[in-house]
This record gives sequence, structure tokens and C-alpha cells, in this order.
Amino acid sequence: MNRLSGGMIDRNQTIHFTFNGKRYQGHPGDTLASALLANGVQLVGRSFKYHRPRGIVAAGSEEPNALVTLREGARAEPNTRATMAELYDGLVARSQNHVGPLNFDLLAVNDLLSPFFAAGFYYKTFMWPRAFWEKLYEPAIRRAAGLGELSELPDPDAYDRGYLHADLLVIGAGPAGLAAALAAGRAGAKVILADEDFRLGGRLLAESDLLDGAPATEWIEAVKAELESLPNVRILTRTVIFGVYDHGIYGAVERVSDHLPTPGGAVRQTLWRIVAKRAVLAAGATERHIPFADNDRPGIMLAGAMRAYANRWATGPGTSAPVAIFTNNDDGHRTALDLMARGVPVAAVIDARRGVERQGDYRLLPEAEVVGTQGRLGLHSITVRTSRGSDTLQVGALGVAGGWNPNVHLASHHRGRPVWDERSLAFVPGQGGPGGLIPAGACGGKGSTAEALADGLRAATEALAELGLTAPALPLPQAEARQDNTAPIWHVPGKRRAWVDFQNDVTVKDIALAHKENMRPVEHLKRWTTLGMATDQGKTANVTALAVMAELTGKTIPQTGTTIFRPPYTGVSMGVLGGGDTGAHFRPRRLTPTHHWAKANGATFVEVGPWMRAQYFVRPGETHWRHSVDREVLAVRAGVGLCDVTTLGKVDVQGADATLFLDRLYANAMASLKVGMVRYGLMLREDGSAYDDGTCARLAEDHYVVTTTTANAGPVYRNMEFARQCLWPELDVQLISTTDAWAQIAVAGPKSRELLSRLVDGFDLSNEAFPFMACAPLTICGGLRARLFRISFSGELAYELAVPARYGHALMARLMEAGADLGATPYGTEALGVLRIEKGHAAGAELNGQTTGQMIGLGKMVSSKKDAIGNIMSRREGLAAEKRLLVGLQPVNATDTVVPGSHLFAQGAPRDLAHDQGWITSAAYSPHVGSSIGLAFLEDGANRMGEVIAAANPLQGSEVAVRVVPSHFVDPEGGRLRA
Amino acid sequence: MPDLSPLCALGAATPRRVTHGALTLTETPECGLASLALRRDTPPPALDLPGPGRWQAADGLTLIWTGPGQWLVELPGAAETDVAATLVKKVPGASITEQTDGWVLIEIASSAGAAPIERFLERAANIDQARFGPGSATRSPIEHLGTYVLRRAEDRLGIWGMRSAAESLWHALDTIAGRLDSRG
Repeated sequence: MNRLSGGMIDRNQTIHFTFNGKRYQGHPGDTLASALLANGVQLVGRSFKYHRPRGIVAAGSEEPNALVTLREGARAEPNTRATMAELYDGLVARSQNHVGPLNFDLLAVNDLLSPFFAAGFYYKTFMWPRAFWEKLYEPAIRRAAGLGELSELPDPDAYDRGYLHADLLVIGAGPAGLAAALAAGRAGAKVILADEDFRLGGRLLAESDLLDGAPATEWIEAVKAELESLPNVRILTRTVIFGVYDHGIYGAVERVSDHLPTPGGAVRQTLWRIVAKRAVLAAGATERHIPFADNDRPGIMLAGAMRAYANRWATGPGTSAPVAIFTNNDDGHRTALDLMARGVPVAAVIDARRGVERQGDYRLLPEAEVVGTQGRLGLHSITVRTSRGSDTLQVGALGVAGGWNPNVHLASHHRGRPVWDERSLAFVPGQGGPGGLIPAGACGGKGSTAEALADGLRAATEALAELGLTAPALPLPQAEARQDNTAPIWHVPGKRRAWVDFQNDVTVKDIALAHKENMRPVEHLKRWTTLGMATDQGKTANVTALAVMAELTGKTIPQTGTTIFRPPYTGVSMGVLGGGDTGAHFRPRRLTPTHHWAKANGATFVEVGPWMRAQYFVRPGETHWRHSVDREVLAVRAGVGLCDVTTLGKVDVQGADATLFLDRLYANAMASLKVGMVRYGLMLREDGSAYDDGTCARLAEDHYVVTTTTANAGPVYRNMEFARQCLWPELDVQLISTTDAWAQIAVAGPKSRELLSRLVDGFDLSNEAFPFMACAPLTICGGLRARLFRISFSGELAYELAVPARYGHALMARLMEAGADLGATPYGTEALGVLRIEKGHAAGAELNGQTTGQMIGLGKMVSSKKDAIGNIMSRREGLAAEKRLLVGLQPVNATDTVVPGSHLFAQGAPRDLAHDQGWITSAAYSPHVGSSIGLAFLEDGANRMGEVIAAANPLQGSEVAVRVVPSHFVDPEGGRLRA
Repeated sequence: MPDLSPLCALGAATPRRVTHGALTLTETPECGLASLALRRDTPPPALDLPGPGRWQAADGLTLIWTGPGQWLVELPGAAETDVAATLVKKVPGASITEQTDGWVLIEIASSAGAAPIERFLERAANIDQARFGPGSATRSPIEHLGTYVLRRAEDRLGIWGMRSAAESLWHALDTIAGRLDSRG
């Protein structure tokens, strides 16, 4: 290691890491970038398109070049910025985007072919043969041009999320942010101070300037100690605020364990949703470079970054050779002075401005420009053009200082347009950005330390006043107040390539080409050249690109356009955005009251929305699901079957106007329903289409229980609430869902009455006392409160028995036990489906939002004697004239399969849309019929009984001849369910 | 008593309980629950009814505001009884629906004061804790599940979630508490 004096690293501890398999040393406090430089490593990667050797450019999250793959195996993370990776013992990093070793990348041949790879090359070149794109061109291009590769292994780490609320969020803990947080903290506001760095201080950490005559760290530590002592202040380091969303919501990612070898039991990252009444944006500024010929060699860095490495991390720019500075402002001179103070030899300061003076003991080349560089894998020398001619300087590194761009990103998130500030030659936050977000310090164009401190206090005072709080008097330390005096020198014209966007390999020539191709709006420029895309989002490139474009168009920069930003400010991992769980707990699931019973009794489960329902129960010897389902169906038809139907929605409706309310909600009449009876009900959408069906049970004069389909339990309840609160607020109605409260079990089959009679506590189940469509509260099993409904989905004599959910499990077991001699059989959703298709009952496949009551054969239920939601609209011409009707289908050849989704055609008719006569909605094998059967909507279906038509399945190239039959395959007279 | 044995929402005969550091999560099946909605033009009951965002204990009941003229009513220890019938006597003329089995109650207690509860809550729900002291109650999604969250005391929360999703809710709360414990 080659360390300078000072710095904020812990030299008492040495930690080890590897880069491309080679072992190096660093200290706590280092980033991977600073440690690599301290070990003399300048070459860290290859460029995106041309595979040019690249080195570290910056010292923060704006880094465009030093993207590495961090960690190994499933934890390998590509495109990690070495400047943001905190060093830990055992860190493993690899360079990216090369074939063969980093110093001999075989794909560097791309650089020789660069004349062919200009912007727009792909769009123009790989046009034919068209079929080659997917198989040949795209894979080859992706292999040649790209960043890191995913491990493609499941992420082994955990992520979580959290919610924070604050009066004031301070984004950035540099001088402006610290002053703002301290003022607000002392005023008693609830403050969150967030910074993406692992230390507080921001740019102060990178500078040698004193505060009140002492090192800045003393002031930072004092402020930190006070903030930590305030219960109303929360400090979040390693936390990037990546976006501003509506209503003062800020997205943040805290890198909880990224600085550790593994997270252990903790999460890797936390996604915070911060709700802040006000926010101070103290995000600082990013230095820009000045494009010149071959300005991308390892060793060429931003001058401010070079200064940061020297002051904070006690390392030079990875070379023992002298260093030069190329600048258009005074800040470049500051870097030269700081480097010299730390013992780094400075060969010269090349200042593009006229009439500048030396600020220290170094060689100054005024009115000079860097016009070329040499060195294959790292900088060896630079060519400088001065007023007296050209000169070559032997240097190992070059710092480039092109001025500072305020980090306006978050202020642009609500389409806030930055405005051009001619004084600082930079975009500063404009009006129209996120409400309540107050820029301060360098991100607002107030870049000197003194200005930033004062501006942070000003912003906090403003925010506090808006919150009704008074800012305390806050003495600020004496600080430097230099101005940079930046000159509008944006690039050095020349014939060789000069990079503007290092990450996307976009050069001044590419921008010129875009201009020539009329891609002049900045939005087109960006997409045509890919400038400003990928992980750095053009933080070091965008404004420079605008300036180059302005020069080409002969317009000013603000006339040329502005650059705005969308979230996220820096790359955010999908893992942390997803948060929570993967696998079984990826989303919540709902279990029926008999779930555990079903699991213990051979059930296979199926997802029905969030519910897990038993699909069928496999018995020993059954090798195919059809064996199980056929057995279950026949058991219901011959004896008695049991099915958990708890998932059907249940809504308790009470109130003096409950009857009127339901009469307006259902298309059919409900007012005439007697207490103790159930009625099948049809709900329509407001446009008249069928919406949902279910039952309505009247438990008392003013008390009903409405059931819905499983899928629509939520939406129907929501619609009922809407009707109650908004459509008819004058009605006295109270609603509440009871879906989960009652375990409901269908007891279906000719022996169902016999089975139930063994459980009820003296309740008369006779047909006379408890006829079809009756309902009653009762007790069972020695006093358990229950509700009994005599309703049937299967077409058999059937009941639904409801008990408090906690007893569902025991009830199922008891029914099985008590019904053993009756052949009691549990059945799942598959058998449920077969039974209802055999009976011709409509379900979700028929109620798909495009069908009407008339189509499903319930047209007469839509009452014309009253108004209800959708009734009038159902009579409009377009719906009333609908001729497709629900019919049954049976294959002419009994071994053929009826395929749901098939479309219906008259025999001999062309198989095209013009001759389409309907479609098959549901189909199943019917053990009762002995063949496959289906339900379908068929044109003029009522008058086509017995006709043989074609069911075409063009997706699979098959066709089946089917006979049109009534939709009731079982007991069309309905005698069984009334037995 | 019926000759059937009930199961807790989490699927066992006895309630689940787990401790992670200072936090203990306890499934609480013995608490009865009913919904109470006042009917139009009926005189308000002789109960101290809490307003928006609040819960209130009175007369052996805990009332939780759930909407205009609506409350959930906890009847501690009364899960096995006909809670609607009990409540009708106290609030005649109101619409009352038994809800005991529609929900699962998970009580969360801290052995180290308010801080663990607050750290837990900031990861569980988007609730401004500055306005969520003891006596507060709110409806809030937790991991996509609708819940009612009650601040019973500085160091205690009660969370009501839908019974059918009890397993998912428990997993979410257990995971949060476990991770807080691993952070130390």
C-alpha cells in the first residue's frame, strides 16, 4: 500500500480483499475504490461498447466506470460501484465486461472497429435477414456490449421494509444538511437525516479547509453527538433517498449489511417509505469533466475526486508518477494545492482560462488545453497545447476540473424543470418540483462551505416556519467562501474521440452525429446515443452533452434543453423493492377452516385467488386425478359428499331498510322473500351485464345473509358498501363481511338428510318442516350454534351447514365419522365443478363480464316490475337482442373430449370470425353421463337442440363434432333437490 | 357445551406464542368480538363510544372505532359465548354481528418498554407513531393484509387480522420481530 499522511482510515487495523483473484490490503474506512488506488490499481474495468481500459473516475455514487461484481456465488452482485462499496475483510471483487484477462481483453478489437460502431450503428446495420436478430445478432451484441452478469441463482439474502414519519427530512449530511438538521433538531421538530455515505460530513470529509480554525471533522463530530442526543432526530447513514413520490413520500434504501461479509441474521437492505411534511434537499453537487481526445484512460479522474482520495482516504491516484490538473476554474487549483500538501508531486496545472494566476508553488500553463493522452492500460503522458505550442508531460494521473453540477435530481422528480444559472454555469432546481422540498447548499448552487452552511440554516428556518416552529439562533462556524470562477469551456475540439459519457461510451463525435441525423431534441439525443442511461444515469455526462449540443446548434444551453431526472437517484436492487418474502410466503394466503383436516386426508390443493382450496382427495390406489374426481362425483350422486364452501363470500345485512336495499341490489325480487327462506339472486353490473350470483337468506325481518361467489366476495362487498354510502345514504342499512366467521360445509347427496339428522339437536329436517330453499339457526352436536341452509349447487338433495369457524375442522371430522356407513366422501373443487356443469349451473366461466342474465337462461329473473342496478340497461337493444344462449354439449363420438375455449360453427361453415356461433365456457368428464360434456353459449341455442355442430380448437388444430343438448345433464325437472 | 373441539386460528388446539428478545407475540383465541353499528334514528347507547382513531374500554368491553357509527367490540374471555346476544342487551336496537371467528387476535407485548414496540410498528405498518399513543386504534394493511392495530399501552399492541389469513399474518409479524431481535 502506498498511503499518504492523514485521512479517515483506521490504520490500526489491516483488512484483506481480492480483486480479480489478487490479494490486497486496506483499512477500515476505505472504499473498494480508495483501497485499489492505495494499492496502485488504476485499471478496474472495460468500457461498455469499445472495451477500452477504464479506471476510477469519481469518489461517490456518480462513478461511471469502476463497476465491479462484488461477492461470489449467489451473492455476486454485478455493476456495484467500487466507490460506494465499503471495504470489509474478505471482500471479493471482479472486473466486468471482458473476454480473457482484464489487461488483455479479446473484445478490445471492438475499439479498432469503432468507426463502425458509432451511435445508431445497431439500428442501421442489423436489419436483415430479420430472423437473424433474435438468434444471432442480439445474443452477440449482448455478449460484446454490456456490464456485469447476474449469478442467476436465488438471492440468499432477506430484505425488509419500514415506514417513517417526520416533520423534516434532511437529504444529505454535508455542511448544508448538518446545519439544517441541527437547527430543526434544536427547534424540536421530528427530523430524519439521511446520507448515502457511511459517515456524516458529505463534502467536508473530502476537503482540507478548516471550520472555526479546526479540522472540519471536529465540527462534524460535535454536531453528530448533539443530533444523536436529541430524541427527536434520527440519523440514517448508508441510506440513499432515491425518489420523491406524491404527498411528501420519499423512497429510501438503507444498506443495512452491505458493509459486512454476510448479513448474518439481519436483512441486507431495508426499503424505507418516509412520510415527511417538509424536506431539505442538501444533496450537494457532482463535478463534471471536460472531454478531450482520449480522455478515458485509467488515471484520468475528476479533480475533486482526486482531492477526496488524498484528504479522506490518504491515497494518491494510484501512481507514484507526477500528477497534472486540467481545469477551467479555481477549484482545480485547490486540488493541486491539497495534493501537494499531502506530498503528491504535481507536474502542472493546465488552465484553459486566460489571465489566471498561480495559487501555489506549481507550474501553471494558462490558456492551455489537454489535446491528447498516451498509455495503453494507464496514463503515461499527456499532450498539452498552449499559446506557445504543444508540450508533452509525463504524468501518471490527470485530474480534470470542469465545474460543478448541482444534484438537482430529486427536485426534478415531479417534472420540476431545473433552470440555468449563468453565474455558476449550471442547472439549479427550478419551480414546479415536489411540493415541500427545499433545496439548500451546493445542490441549490450555493457551493462554498460558508454559503452551504448558511443556506442549510435558511432552508431549515423556512421549513420550520411553514410547520409553525421557530428556528433557534444557530451560530455557524467560520468557513471558506471561495468562488470557482468557472469559465464556459465545455470540451476540447479535436479529431480523436473525446468521451462525454464514459459508462455508455458516448463521445463528442456521437453527439455531432446525432445532430447531423437531426436527433436534436435532448430526448432524442439521449435515446439515439444511449447517453445518460444505465447505472449512473449520466451524472457526470448530461450537462456536458447539452453544452456540446448547444455548441453544435448555435444555441444557448437553456435554449437547447434541460435534463431532468426520474427515480431512482441511484440503482436500487429489485430484491429490496420486492421486499418481504419469496417462495411460499411471497403473498398472503387464506386457509379454509378444514385446511388441516384436508391436508391430513390426502387433499391436493389449488390456489383460488388467495385461498388454498382442496382440489381433490387422493385415496390409496388412485393414480390419476380423474380417478379421484370421478369417485367423488359419483359418491355425491349416490350417497353423500362433503365440501368446504367457506370461501364463498358472506355479507351480513341488517337494518330497517335492508329489504329495500337488497331489492335494489339484486336484479330479481327480494322483497317477497319470507323469513326462514333463501332465494337465488342475480346481481347485474351497471351496464346490464351479469355480475355475480349467489343466495340471499332472510334470517329475520331486518336481517339477511347474502352469499357471493368466491372470486367476487371482495368486489361485491365493496359495491354494496358503495351503494350504501354513496347511492342510497338515506337507507338504514348496516353491512359487514362474515366470510371468515363461519365455516360452511356443503352436505350434498341423497343421503345428506340422513347424515345431518345424526348431528342436529332435535331439529326437524323433514321436507315439510325444512323444504328446499329453507334456512334456520339451530344447534348441533350438543349445543353448538349453527346455521343451516337447504340449497344445492350439485342438483342433489343438499344442505350447507355453517358453524363458528373454529369448529370447522371438528365438524368435518364428525360428519365423516357419522356418515361412514352412508358413504360420506369429501370432495374438492374439481368434483364441485363437474357436479355444477352436470347440473348446468353458471359459474365464473359463464359470468365473465360479457354475458347477460338472458344468455345464462336467467333472463326472466331480471325483474321489469322494479328498478335495480343494471335492470334497465339490460333491456337496451344491444343486450336484449343477444341470441347466444347457454346450452349443453355432448360429443357425438363418446370418446371425444369437449375442449373449453373451443369456438362453435355450423357444420360445413367456414371456420372464421364471420361464421363464429359461440364458444364453450366449461367442460368436464361427466361420470354420470359417461362422456365428456360441456356448457357453451350458442347462437339461437334454444332452437337447436339435437343439432350436431363443430367445436373447433384452432390453437391445437383439432375439431370435435358435438350435439346440442339442454344444459341440465342431471335431473332437469329438479326433483332430486326437492326430495 | 358442544361435543366438538375447536381449533385456534393458527391451526392448533392451543394458541401459539413466541418470544424474540423483548417482544412476545401471543395468539389470543379467548377474546370474543362483535361488530356494532348504530341504526338510524335510534338513541345512542349508554356506552362511552370512542371517536375516530381511538379505542375505549368500558363496562368490560373494549370498543374500537371502525367507521361513522360503527365499532368492533372486544369481549375478553367470551369467545365461546354468543357475544351478539350479550351485546344486544347492552345496546338494544343496534345492528350487531358476531365476529369472533372472523378474526384472529395477536397480542404483542414488550418487556423493555415502548422502544421495541415502536421499532416493531415502524416495520409493520405505515402509522405515524407520534399520533399513535395508548388509546389509538387504526385500520392498516400489514404485508397486504387488512388489520386493526390497537395501541393498548406504551409497551403493548393488539393486532386483529382476518382469521383465514392468520398463518400469513403470524408469519409477517413473527419475521419482523425475529429480525429486530437479530439486529440487537
